[in-house]
Amino acid sequence: MKVSTDHILTSHSGSLPRPDELIESNRVREAGEPTDEGAFQQTLRAAVGDVVGHQKDLGIDVPGDGEFGKSVGNRVNYGAWWNYAFQRLGGLDLAGPSLDHMTPRRVRAGEIVLTNAASRRDRVRFVAAYADPVSGVFMGPRPATGPVCVGPLTYTGHEAIKADIANFKAALAAAGVEEGFMTSVAPGSAYRIPNTYYERDEDFLYACAEAMRKEYKAILDAGLVLQLDDPATATSWDMIDPEPAVEDYKKFTMVRVEALNHALRGLPQERIRFHLCWGSWHGPHTTDIPMRDIVEVMLAVNAGAYSFEAGNVRHEHEWKVWRDVKLPDGKLILPGVVSHATNVVEHPELVAERIMRFTNLVGRERVIASTDCGLGGRVHPDIAWAKLEALAQGAALASRRLWR
Amino acid sequence: MRSSSNHILTSHAGSLPRPDALIEAWGANDEGALTQQLTTAVAEVVRRQKESGLDVPGDGEYGKAMPHSVNYGAWWRYSFVRLGGLNMGGLGLYELPARRSRPGEVVLTSFADRRDRTRFAAAYADPDSGITTGPRPANHPVCVAPLTYIGHEAIAADIRRFKAALAAAGLEEGFMTAIAPASASRIGNMYYKTEEELLYACADAMHEEYKAILDAGLILQLDDPAIAENWDQINPEPTVEDYRKFTMLRVEALNHAIRGLPQDRIRFHLCWGSWHGPHTTDIAMRDIVEVMLAINARAYSFEAGNVRHEHEWKVWQDVKLPDGKLILPGVVSHATNVVEHPELVAERILRFANLVGRERVIASTDCGLGGRIHPDIAWAKLDALVQGAALASQQLWH
Repeated sequence: MKVSTDHILTSHSGSLPRPDELIESNRVREAGEPTDEGAFQQTLRAAVGDVVGHQKDLGIDVPGDGEFGKSVGNRVNYGAWWNYAFQRLGGLDLAGPSLDHMTPRRVRAGEIVLTNAASRRDRVRFVAAYADPVSGVFMGPRPATGPVCVGPLTYTGHEAIKADIANFKAALAAAGVEEGFMTSVAPGSAYRIPNTYYERDEDFLYACAEAMRKEYKAILDAGLVLQLDDPATATSWDMIDPEPAVEDYKKFTMVRVEALNHALRGLPQERIRFHLCWGSWHGPHTTDIPMRDIVEVMLAVNAGAYSFEAGNVRHEHEWKVWRDVKLPDGKLILPGVVSHATNVVEHPELVAERIMRFTNLVGRERVIASTDCGLGGRVHPDIAWAKLEALAQGAALASRRLWR
Repeated sequence: MRSSSNHILTSHAGSLPRPDALIEAWGANDEGALTQQLTTAVAEVVRRQKESGLDVPGDGEYGKAMPHSVNYGAWWRYSFVRLGGLNMGGLGLYELPARRSRPGEVVLTSFADRRDRTRFAAAYADPDSGITTGPRPANHPVCVAPLTYIGHEAIAADIRRFKAALAAAGLEEGFMTAIAPASASRIGNMYYKTEEELLYACADAMHEEYKAILDAGLILQLDDPAIAENWDQINPEPTVEDYRKFTMLRVEALNHAIRGLPQDRIRFHLCWGSWHGPHTTDIAMRDIVEVMLAINARAYSFEAGNVRHEHEWKVWQDVKLPDGKLILPGVVSHATNVVEHPELVAERILRFANLVGRERVIASTDCGLGGRIHPDIAWAKLDALVQGAALASQQLWH
């Protein structure tokens, strides 16, 4: 993984706006309508080529493939980062109940179970705002069905990940860029679906870890940087009703971190980065767990770098956490310094200010400037690109001040 | 005007969410229902602000017509029914023809031709982008006869309701907004020979409203986004010098309008426009701060809680706030649905307090929250504002 040796490197959290043509092709494919697979693959390949070139032009040092291989059939989309996994795992029945409509589950003291999406605590507190079509919390069309695990989990996405890697590596080579990252969902996030096969929750979790390990390995074997997407580490907190004790939550989450570390055993840590987030929907987020309460859990993940939200008004103040918490030697952070949470484009001076708060605490070489979450599907494409431009400009301002 | 003598005072920029029944009454234009709704709604909104812990409440701008829950224009359009000499048959703001400026010759173009809107035309046009500003009025006023103030009864009723609400809540100090001439004069003109004449006619007419609010013992807040957001409405981008000259004329007209009035109870609100757009063409605070400070107000309210202007606290490292004056930086904002963490609110307040002194900062919002964000989120943001101010006060007066 490249480090900021002579300037602040820039990257982002993964998802980028898909071109309309690709969205339409995905929609047709998702609907099960007849498609020309060859033509689809060509559209996808061309789109990945364009998106890598565009990132290079804007001054993004460590580009991704925009998650373009993860199907998005609508311009507004918040779920592709994990829904894609259901297409790549065997043992699932995809005609189960929608994850929104599962039965809400309450917890007793010391016990932790996740409730359904509709009973999330922030959603219940602001039920009128979440339901209001003009509030801006809209998350796009919701899937009518959801996956259920009904048999042994296996990884069946070999062809898909191979195509993703080939498309991305060709795009990187064409743009003359050495390093690129590809996202993959972590077991703790992927397995939050109903299960009628495994007796114990932990068996299901570890089966997911074993299956997803195949994807992690494919990405790393190809020489790419692997980004593990694991919002569950932070967002599950809002999904436990009533609010649990922090200690109970940490214990619950550490089980998932251990499963992730199990999936990563023997893989090259220096090319693995971990992405934490509190959920990218445009809600009030008043029930987000503080970074201070989960930072040690995050650092227990065997990754070389940690990406997290720090560019929205619920988490911006948490740079202070790094005054008290030591970032282990040799590790990097990728704080979000521009965000999907507002249409307003960050001023490059603010971006620089945010970056320098982190470099002052952990050292300039250990900060890569990034986004809070993926921008694709969450803000208008033109605004997303303007934000990446602001990110690169702000990083350049910070670099001038840090290496003068 | 109270200053933060033993804790950081809290206030906001004016507009608060209207109850549904009031929005309906405005839409139905039923005078009887409206009067009844207004009396109870103003009492309730003042009580609720007190309960939230806000130190300097307003009337939520409830007396300014808002017929739809998404609304960005009540602060301005209310003046069209309080000014005589207008004909409402002019073209809508978006239908007006574009006008090009030249060096030394600055003119405002149409809303459709604003520079940020032009740059992000697809995003502004996309109903899913979140930039919608609600139903657009199809018409806009044209001045066709001498401008006069005809809102005496309306402002008297606003004042009466607000003062009764303050008394019922046991509160001494409250603020009421009124539009400044620069912002009010952005209408068609077929009567006055020059723009300057129209501007001063507007200043003289609106003076009556300012005087009524101040005579009633209230704080007057002058809403004047035109000072900052006109920049984006000039196409192509002018030089800063040309813009300052253009804007100083408007400041002088405002100072003319408030001549002889008690400066101690006047606060000024600057903003870059509250729509949820990218705002990449906002003029920098550094370029207009002296223009703002030339206004004869005691206190200045401005956006500082959104990602385009948050870094501008640094302006106060170089610019001296004149003795005796106060600032009301926005530390929570309408620009995101995410509710500000109280720790962030405190951090923002402390940045200002460290530069200008704790007694000279009143914590406020970027812009009005009413009509721009869901009501429940608006109130949660005011709670966060109060909690953050309390955290900052603990640090500043420990």
